[in-house]
Amino acid sequence: MCGSEGLRRGWGRCAPSPLLLLSLLASAAPLGLLREETRQVSLEVIPPGLDAPQNLLHIRAVGTNSTLHYVWSSVGPPAVLLVATDTPHSTLSVNWSLLLSPEPDGGLVVLPKDSIQFSSALVFTRVQAFSGSGRPDQPPRLLHSADTCQLEVALVGASPRGNRSLFGLEVATLGQGPDCPLMQEQHSIDDEYAPAVFQVNQLLWGSLPSGFVQWRPVAFSQRQRGRESALPCQASPLHPSLAYLPQSPIVRAFFESHNNFCAFNLTFGASTGPGYWDAHYLSWSTLLGVGTPPLDTLSPLVLGIMAVALGAPGLMLLAGGVFLLLGHRQCSEYQPIN
Amino acid sequence: MGEDDEEARALLEGSPNEAGRGASAVPAVPRALPALCDPSRLAHRLLVLLLMCFLGFGSYFCYDNPAALQTQVKRDMQVNTTRFMLLYAWYSWPNVVLCFFGGFLIDRVFGIRWGTIIFSCFVCIGQVVFALGGIFNAFWLMEFGRFVFGIGGESLAVAQNTYAVSWFKGKELNLVFGLQLSMARIGSTVNMNLMGWLYSKVEASLGSTGHTTLGVTLLIGGITCVLSLICALVLAYLDQRAERILHKEQGKTGEVIKLTDVKDFSLPLWLIFIICVCYYVAVFPFIGLGKVFFTEKFGFSPQAASAVNSIVYVISAPMSPIFGLLVDKTGKNIIWVLCAVVTTLAAHILLAFTLWNPWIAMCLLGISYSLLACALWPMVAFVVPEHQLGTAYGFMQSIQNLGLAIISIIAGMILDTRGYLFLEVFFIACVSLSLLSVVLLYVVNRARERETEHEQGRGRERGRHRIGNRLQALSCQHRARRGARTHRLRDHDLGRSRTLNRLSHPGDPVFIFFNVFLFLREIESGRGTEREEDRGSKASSALTAEPSVEPELTNCDIMT
Repeated sequence: MCGSEGLRRGWGRCAPSPLLLLSLLASAAPLGLLREETRQVSLEVIPPGLDAPQNLLHIRAVGTNSTLHYVWSSVGPPAVLLVATDTPHSTLSVNWSLLLSPEPDGGLVVLPKDSIQFSSALVFTRVQAFSGSGRPDQPPRLLHSADTCQLEVALVGASPRGNRSLFGLEVATLGQGPDCPLMQEQHSIDDEYAPAVFQVNQLLWGSLPSGFVQWRPVAFSQRQRGRESALPCQASPLHPSLAYLPQSPIVRAFFESHNNFCAFNLTFGASTGPGYWDAHYLSWSTLLGVGTPPLDTLSPLVLGIMAVALGAPGLMLLAGGVFLLLGHRQCSEYQPIN
Repeated sequence: MGEDDEEARALLEGSPNEAGRGASAVPAVPRALPALCDPSRLAHRLLVLLLMCFLGFGSYFCYDNPAALQTQVKRDMQVNTTRFMLLYAWYSWPNVVLCFFGGFLIDRVFGIRWGTIIFSCFVCIGQVVFALGGIFNAFWLMEFGRFVFGIGGESLAVAQNTYAVSWFKGKELNLVFGLQLSMARIGSTVNMNLMGWLYSKVEASLGSTGHTTLGVTLLIGGITCVLSLICALVLAYLDQRAERILHKEQGKTGEVIKLTDVKDFSLPLWLIFIICVCYYVAVFPFIGLGKVFFTEKFGFSPQAASAVNSIVYVISAPMSPIFGLLVDKTGKNIIWVLCAVVTTLAAHILLAFTLWNPWIAMCLLGISYSLLACALWPMVAFVVPEHQLGTAYGFMQSIQNLGLAIISIIAGMILDTRGYLFLEVFFIACVSLSLLSVVLLYVVNRARERETEHEQGRGRERGRHRIGNRLQALSCQHRARRGARTHRLRDHDLGRSRTLNRLSHPGDPVFIFFNVFLFLREIESGRGTEREEDRGSKASSALTAEPSVEPELTNCDIMT
């Protein structure tokens, strides 16, 4: 299971012919270190120079005194690196020959090294198909903050083994410390941006400045996302990863030997309800960022309606009370007569 | 009962032929029929009562089928919530118009027997078409089925009440209404908790989910409608037989609808309409969409979600008489309506903004819903002259249906695009509009009451002359006192007034209103049925007459 050959087979075996589309949406801006209001985002594709098919996407989000680097690569299993630095001048250096070699350690470096405040990685190690069960439906409009980027994983055109195959995605994470990140399920009252989804899942790396992964437990079986194409997404608990995980060259190139992988499984859909079979399409979105995860707050529209809805009868009651009170005074003149 | 028996015998003696056709084979010998077959006996009436209860069971059971199978309908038919809610909207559309004509159709066109059978057929056919829409995977057919079902459902309720009055007036009418009400609630509750299970059984036997499973499940649910149709046929036969034997008249709704009356409706009546519409649109569409809300937000299992969703219906059955008593004893209808609306507002706020166990909020909703029904609907009788009652109630129900149809669609759209929180906020806004109207009604009422008191005061000084138009004043306190004596509708009056004949879909409160009124009357008058009947027979001809002023004055004086 070592060597890029074996790794590629491992990836290919599990997902027979899927065109796995992974798109990266940078919504820019990280830490304040983080907490910068705006960042300048630049995208750069770094080709290996030769005619090799691989390439590497580098997204650089520069603030006044910090930089976020997102590195996405088609080398090996799909993986994304997140590196936060405390200088606006940090750069990414790629050594392609080293990166494509069986020992890619040091092939990817962010300079200056001592400016690195936080680094992590997500590796989507394999896509699995199986027939199982889950639960019912819904869209995830996750709240972007300055310090995040949104990842979207889409499975398109794979031929499933069964009529109602369910798909799972194993995600491996890598942090600086030895511990696994913390998996949280937050219940919320607010489903305004993702109708009927009242939960947010989060992966939090411990020490500050730290990073997070945040997603709504929902995926979609159609490009046009709506409640009717929403399918539930269940996450298994995190567990320290084992050696069988295919390794990402870019991750290894950057992190070199300290590989504290933790992995979890995401399962999309249930044996009934919408699923991949609807349109041979499945998409799931997650937010990757640095700092504290953004929190959905009640929208101004909701607050406005509530203010009017509760305020109007209240005022009316008050006005009515005053009116009656004044009226009562006048009336009370009659009381002594009786 | 002894009197009844004698009366029956007398009747039978008068018609020996009929007796001969009965169980007794010996002609010309006046002999009582076996109790069960004798239309004048209690046992026979109980049989009829049973049939009456099951007459409405089918339509109540099937009305909320979509709510009970919300997830399955949306999944199997691949529709979004907006289209799902059209199933409810299509039920309401025909009733926007039929509210005015149901009684007319029964009285003038079909007669009660054929009317009941025809409406039952509509319900049956509607449910079958609804189910076929599932089997053939045609959602438009399901919608059409609900439309047909709606044509039958509401008018069938009118027919059911007319039957009840025709068989039980002056006797066990209160009990009958109570039982019919309970049956309605049982129908709704059983549906909520049974259909999901039935679906899974059908799924197990067919081997898969899908539109066929859904259709078959609904078709099996339709058996209840066939049962109701059979009840309608048997009832028609028994009613005809009773007519032969007892020379009983065919029941009439006695509805008088004059649409031109609308221009005479007063401000308080319009406010009551607004309260009614804004309140009910925040209850029924919510229940229609509630199941998924409870599973997704609170993590309930489908069974638990069904149970909590049906609690409103469960609570309203026993609470209605209690609240009816309370409202009638205290008489402060507006205050009670205010309490009910505020409690509902609180319940919706709890559901929207907290993660508290929804049993709390839903129980609050159930209680406030029952209270509102008892306090709001009788108020109409306080603000319109009796001859306009039919029009007022018909109008109220028509706009209620219109509101339900429109808001059902809007609720579905909101849910699809903005989610449950926003939907709840929307419902809160509706209830708040209702609250606003209650407050306004209270102010208007107090203002008029003061005018009245003012005039009263002057009147007393001048030697207790009362001004006739004071009757128009909406003083709930005074009215309720009066109502306890003169304004309380006697059941004979009720038999002729449209209000009695209004049942509407599950939870329609008019039903409760009468139930409560009659229930109370029985408590008060004790065994005074005969007296009531005498009065009733006089009063029935004087439907449009204003209640006499004299006894009223006395009452008021006594009460004050």
